[in-house]
Amino acid sequence: MSTLLRWILWLWISLVILGALLWAPVAQGFAGLDGASPQTSRIVFFHVPFSVGSFVGFVASGVWSVLYLWRRREKDDRAAAAAVEVSLVFCALATLTGAMWSRVQWGAYWNWDPRQTSIALALVFYGAYLSLRGALEDPEVRARISGAYAALGLVVAPFLFFIMPRMASFSLHPKPAGSEMDPRIGSVVGAGILGFSLLFFWMQNLRCRTLALEADDDFDGDRDNG
Amino acid sequence: MDDGLLWLAGVNLVLWTGLFLYMLRVERRIRQEEDR
Repeated sequence: MSTLLRWILWLWISLVILGALLWAPVAQGFAGLDGASPQTSRIVFFHVPFSVGSFVGFVASGVWSVLYLWRRREKDDRAAAAAVEVSLVFCALATLTGAMWSRVQWGAYWNWDPRQTSIALALVFYGAYLSLRGALEDPEVRARISGAYAALGLVVAPFLFFIMPRMASFSLHPKPAGSEMDPRIGSVVGAGILGFSLLFFWMQNLRCRTLALEADDDFDGDRDNG
Repeated sequence: MDDGLLWLAGVNLVLWTGLFLYMLRVERRIRQEEDR
């Protein structure tokens, strides 16, 4: 049954790719600089789901960290660490696709735009989480301290993703479109957000189970299902 | 329809399918290790 669900996810994201590149129209008003094709704005169909997926993952890592600090179950710590690792990949891809679009729209890959700056800060904040874990050898100390750090992320991530970009009086980054947007664009972006979020949780699950196997290996050399 | 977009869609589908099959393989290996 779970394999069937995986294949449904494959189909879902395949349809998102086809919809993004072949079905949804180009958003109005996005002609690139120097005569670049407006088709380059299609990168938004990937940029937004990566960005939302990474935010969902960072929040999930905070929730698992709070659960670990409350119940002291190792699997919650592993889940939090796995969530940060996968979220960083999604966040890096969101930054990369954003920079590609920035080059076309605003003439430079990086403009220190408030939203670009805030996503870079998110990469630094959560990159530091992984550094922190790598520096702490004792598993329980590592879990407690990194858990507290990731729990702090429940405040930091919403601030960086939603509040800081809006604090600036001016930003190059497009505002979310209103009712004037073609509904096909909203459909593809929405479907992409859902599909990429599900993909995130599958990747996080694989990574979490790998960490569990590695932990069992370190413990006594035998495999168990803990 | 833009040929470039068709090509890009094809490349993306191939990359996504490759990633998907790799993840299925990883999951099968993990399950084998968990069942040992």
